[in-house]
Amino acid sequence: MDDRSAGLDKAIEAIKIGVSDPERNQLHIELDQFLDWLEPMLGVDTGDQEGLLFSHDAVNVLREDSPRQSDPAEIQEAAPSFAGGFYLVPKIME
Amino acid sequence: MELRKTTVHRVAEAVLQGEITAHQLIDITLKNCGVLNEGLNIFTAVAGVDASEQARAVDQKIKQGKKLPLAGIPVVVKDDLCYGVLPTSLGSSAFSEFISPVTATAVERLMDAGAVVIGKTNLDDMGQGSTTLSSPRGATANPWQAERTAGSAGAAAVATGICMLAVESDSGGALRQGASHCGVAGLRPTTGRVSRYGLNAHCSSFARVGVTAFSCENISGVLDIISGFDERDAATAVCRDGIQENIKAPGSEDITIGYPVTVFDFLEPELREVFEQARDEFAGHGYKIKEIELGLLREGLQAYYVIALAEASSSHARFDGIRFGKTGAADNLHNMYFQSRAEILGQEARRRSIFGTFLLGKGNYGRYYRQASKIWQMVRWEFEGALKDCDLLMLPTSKNLPRPLQGQSSFLDQWSDDLFCAPVSLSGLPALTIPAGQIEQHPVGMQLVGPPFSEKTLLNVGSASEHKN
Repeated sequence: MDDRSAGLDKAIEAIKIGVSDPERNQLHIELDQFLDWLEPMLGVDTGDQEGLLFSHDAVNVLREDSPRQSDPAEIQEAAPSFAGGFYLVPKIME
Repeated sequence: MELRKTTVHRVAEAVLQGEITAHQLIDITLKNCGVLNEGLNIFTAVAGVDASEQARAVDQKIKQGKKLPLAGIPVVVKDDLCYGVLPTSLGSSAFSEFISPVTATAVERLMDAGAVVIGKTNLDDMGQGSTTLSSPRGATANPWQAERTAGSAGAAAVATGICMLAVESDSGGALRQGASHCGVAGLRPTTGRVSRYGLNAHCSSFARVGVTAFSCENISGVLDIISGFDERDAATAVCRDGIQENIKAPGSEDITIGYPVTVFDFLEPELREVFEQARDEFAGHGYKIKEIELGLLREGLQAYYVIALAEASSSHARFDGIRFGKTGAADNLHNMYFQSRAEILGQEARRRSIFGTFLLGKGNYGRYYRQASKIWQMVRWEFEGALKDCDLLMLPTSKNLPRPLQGQSSFLDQWSDDLFCAPVSLSGLPALTIPAGQIEQHPVGMQLVGPPFSEKTLLNVGSASEHKN
């Protein structure tokens, strides 16, 4: 197994997405196509410049730190499931 | 009242003057909806009773003396934007019944101004795509040519006259390509101008909330309403102290339009002809045309996909069946995650998440992601450089006619359709798609791109172009 194939399998495991064997095989083919497609971008001489990390130049974007009243009833209403004072989630402990 | 033949301002005035009530207008709109939507697959949900209630509330406010600038205007909302009454599917069948506890700021502001949400519109799998071909509900057909895709369902809704405005997201070009394919106008605003609160963005660096309408005049009528600072979206901090509009004098002789000759390398001859005609028409109307170079369009598209996929892999992490989405049936925790995520994410979203994770992996980050972030910077400089010599740039919107509903196209073919839109997304600049011409009676659009906060100039030029054609 080459690095690309191993990397793809590792990625699937890392982000925990169930894929069937035929889909996995297809993804291996598509990844090769995708990485080949990216070759022109890799060929650009970018020198030692820094990359861009943010899409805007906004600074000091924090809102004023002032106390606000929250409404527990509103939060409970928005929850998928709430009963007896608890937010109910799927059972995950075995 | 045929909504395509009038303006937002005229309709709102008619409602404010009592010539028609908002409720009557919405009642007619909803009745037309079924007929006009037939065979097109525009909606994920239609706001029947809710729209009537919204309209009655608008009428009530008018009676109380409120001057609502969008009184009764029917609006559709793309289904990756939250509206707290109708389901927000995000383009996943797993969320078909999810009703968000919040409403997106842009939608809320339109409703505060009197607009009425009549429905949510179809979109690609998790909002990722510019065709709707990967939608779990099937693609939206083009009103002009039903065997092809609309690009965006909101644009199809506007083009048919179902509504007057569509609020839509645009990351790599879905809004703009939809407008182009359906022969309407669509605006992707400057980064930070319109709040994205309530948008399920798969890549927050490039996702924006914009508006599609039948004319530039109609977009002008709502731009100020949806624009401005929102403490729930940090990017809008650039507007915290108000918006410094970048408005160029209205005279066409004062405006220089940059014309990138490099785009011809990528265009089919018939599209090239439309684009050349549009250039000649601008020149005929007195605009100065200046040839420019944009040499990184293809590489910009590729960089966009590296960054967008990397961000998608992160933003999709929350769809695990515990925090968001239905829990998949499984006998242990490990399998539950795999099952849930396979059911929540469709094929396109799975592909993007997996590839995005791969690109961020050891050895790949430096080779692909870091290079893409440098290209992002270079594309931004390239657009800034072009706009030093010109007031606006003109670009094609799509390199193809809309894709056929039937028949296979590879994922790379579909991604490549964003060639002229994705680099503009990297630039952070505003872009307006307007109709440029037709090929075999099928509309073809083009983009006008300007400096930050030049939307009003873009709309003025676009509007003048509409009236002269």
